[in-house]
Amino acid sequence: MKRERIVVAMSGGVDSSTAAALLHAEGYAVVGVTLKLTDATGTAASIGGRCCGPRDIEDARTTAATIGFPHYVLDETAAFREAVIDEFVAEHAAGRTPNPCVRCNEKLKFGPLVRFARAVGARHLATGHYARLDRPAGAAGPVRLRRAVDTQKDQSYFLFGVAPELFEAVVFPLGDRTKDEVRAIAHRFRLPNADKPDSQQICFVPEGDHLAFVEARGGAGRSGAVVDTGGQTVGQHAGTHRFTVGQRRGVPVGPGGEKRFVVRIEAATGRVVVGPREATAQAELRVTDVRWTAGAPPLAWPVRCAVQLRHHSAAVPGWLSRPAPPVIEDASGAPTGCAVQLDAPALGVAPGQAAVFYADDQVLGGGWIASAP
Amino acid sequence: MIYLDHNATTPVRPEVAAAMGRVLVECPGNPSSVHAAGRQARQAVELARGQVSSLLDVLPEEIVFVSSGTEGDNQAVRGLAGVAAARGRPQIVSAESEHPAVRASVAWLQAAGHEVGWVPLAEDGQLRPGALAALVGDRTGLITLGLANHEIGNTHPLAEVVELAHARGALVHTDAVQAVGKMPVSLRRLGVDAATLSAHKLGGPKGVAAVFVRRGLDLPPLLAGGHQERERHPGTENVPAIVGFGVAAEACARALPAETARLGALRDALERGLGGIAGVRFHGTRAPEARSPATVSVAFAGAPAQLVVIALDLEGICVSTGAACTSGSPQPSPVLRALGLSEAEAREGVRISLGWTSSAADIEGLLRVLPEVVARVRAAARVHPAVAEPAAVAKRAALARGGDA
Repeated sequence: MKRERIVVAMSGGVDSSTAAALLHAEGYAVVGVTLKLTDATGTAASIGGRCCGPRDIEDARTTAATIGFPHYVLDETAAFREAVIDEFVAEHAAGRTPNPCVRCNEKLKFGPLVRFARAVGARHLATGHYARLDRPAGAAGPVRLRRAVDTQKDQSYFLFGVAPELFEAVVFPLGDRTKDEVRAIAHRFRLPNADKPDSQQICFVPEGDHLAFVEARGGAGRSGAVVDTGGQTVGQHAGTHRFTVGQRRGVPVGPGGEKRFVVRIEAATGRVVVGPREATAQAELRVTDVRWTAGAPPLAWPVRCAVQLRHHSAAVPGWLSRPAPPVIEDASGAPTGCAVQLDAPALGVAPGQAAVFYADDQVLGGGWIASAP
Repeated sequence: MIYLDHNATTPVRPEVAAAMGRVLVECPGNPSSVHAAGRQARQAVELARGQVSSLLDVLPEEIVFVSSGTEGDNQAVRGLAGVAAARGRPQIVSAESEHPAVRASVAWLQAAGHEVGWVPLAEDGQLRPGALAALVGDRTGLITLGLANHEIGNTHPLAEVVELAHARGALVHTDAVQAVGKMPVSLRRLGVDAATLSAHKLGGPKGVAAVFVRRGLDLPPLLAGGHQERERHPGTENVPAIVGFGVAAEACARALPAETARLGALRDALERGLGGIAGVRFHGTRAPEARSPATVSVAFAGAPAQLVVIALDLEGICVSTGAACTSGSPQPSPVLRALGLSEAEAREGVRISLGWTSSAADIEGLLRVLPEVVARVRAAARVHPAVAEPAAVAKRAALARGGDA
């Protein structure tokens, strides 16, 4: 019998390599593919291997050759520059804290990968993400995105923006496994990158210096005054792009030596407002450009859920309701924003980061934290 | 496996492999040595030189063995441009459809202070009448134009080019890599001053190529070193590869011109079949006398070539998106762009190229699976197409700005 063909997106890291090895061992005809997202020189990849640089492409190719399946590279550098890098720089310039990994998943990665899978006649695209996709029995309704079994590694936060239409074609073979299990499997398969460290930095920023990267591309915010919550100037700073809400670094201590944190960034005036930690706490926020995993907004408002405001923070309980004006509409004229009321104020709510809504471990949807009104 | 990428490389002929094996075992000498082993190796190299020169209808002493077509193009273009510049003729004329080895050599010269004129091409890849004459003047030192294009197979009327150039005192080089072995080529009759060809495109091994340079014309070496190849290519000769090159050249000479007709018939059958696929587009001239019999450049509207090539590979069929030397790069084919195609159109260009092992069964095999592959790729390309959302992004930015103020 002819083996079923499956496409595995390979970043060059241990996770996607293990996913490929597992599927190969299960009898699938695996086709590996790596997206080339950054140019050859002067990027992180050339100085030590993050996601999707030339060295990672080599790692993916080596893994494919070791296990014995074909591997291809799709060049998406131009689209990546437009959809991810330019936006990353523009968001910094606007005084926000962008999340390029979410943006990459939403705008870039899954489209070309699913198209590739369809083009080569594969029913499914597998990736090494730690997340789960539940398919309702009898194919009634869209797939449901859930947190991974390994909650420490869970990447569902990064995936909320992927179009449901694309998720129909996707499987996550690692969603039911822990990272430790995955490393053990990688060793058992003798994968060449079994001990490769996890990527931590932003893949396109050399040496993790995102400030220099942003400045070199015209994304520097205005320099200006650091003011306290009473409007008193307490210092000067070299550009609003250097700050994120909740940040302490670069913030002068208070008159009594107490620690202060960034409360708000005002890109238009160049002011950075600082205050004690509790001043950064916020229970109400607006979320724009919301995507619903089910493909449509909920029928009943308000919606009780847990809201995750950064990749490495826990989801906190709250209510979602339709937003007060001004309401943003998508291309079809439907409102895409909503208002969030948290049960308790949260710290470090940074405009530009993703807010993802969960019911237990299931992703309902998510959007982008808007600048404070 | 069906192999239809002969412009990238073509399989080694069995008689070539046999001859090379014999040389490796039985002919251990260095052609520069004074002793019997050296003389034996020298004899083998000179025999090959004769075989290659007779395929091209030139003199043995006019053949310089080098290591690759790219090296040959570099040495000829850069070397002859230097020779011409020394005579007060610093301008080089070429076309943007040339192989990267030629274009990069010309760019290198431009960076070194030479003047460069790119001759515009018509939509079918041919020279526009009068375009070359308009460019070539008394500052023109060298014209370099390919004999058969590596992606679209167009030939240029080299004899006319030579007539024009020589009348105005300019030299002519031609990259003949994709022509030699597939069509009869008499460099003597064409009258060019220099030409490049490569062994692995005509059934010989990789790692050996040749520059033809007209007797009496200086060809400066790229490297400093010994006196090999009449001071034109220092370094110990790659004797087994050169012998293989010679045997391949002799096999080509025997097969021509019937081989040209055989390949042309296969190409025509292929194009007839391709013509039955909806939305097909051919690139380059279709006039038989103005093209190589071995190259077909085709596009299927709405089907990105990269996906077509990969999908065919997974069905066991080897074709390519363009020059192997550039196929890993994100740029759409510069050859197709030079013909005036848009970036999107240029990204749809698929190259199918024939060679000495190609058969009617290969063509049938390709045509059996291609319609389904094209349909699949077209359908795939329509899945959640990447849409810029300027409206949404702008609105979000506007709202955020309002919030900041």
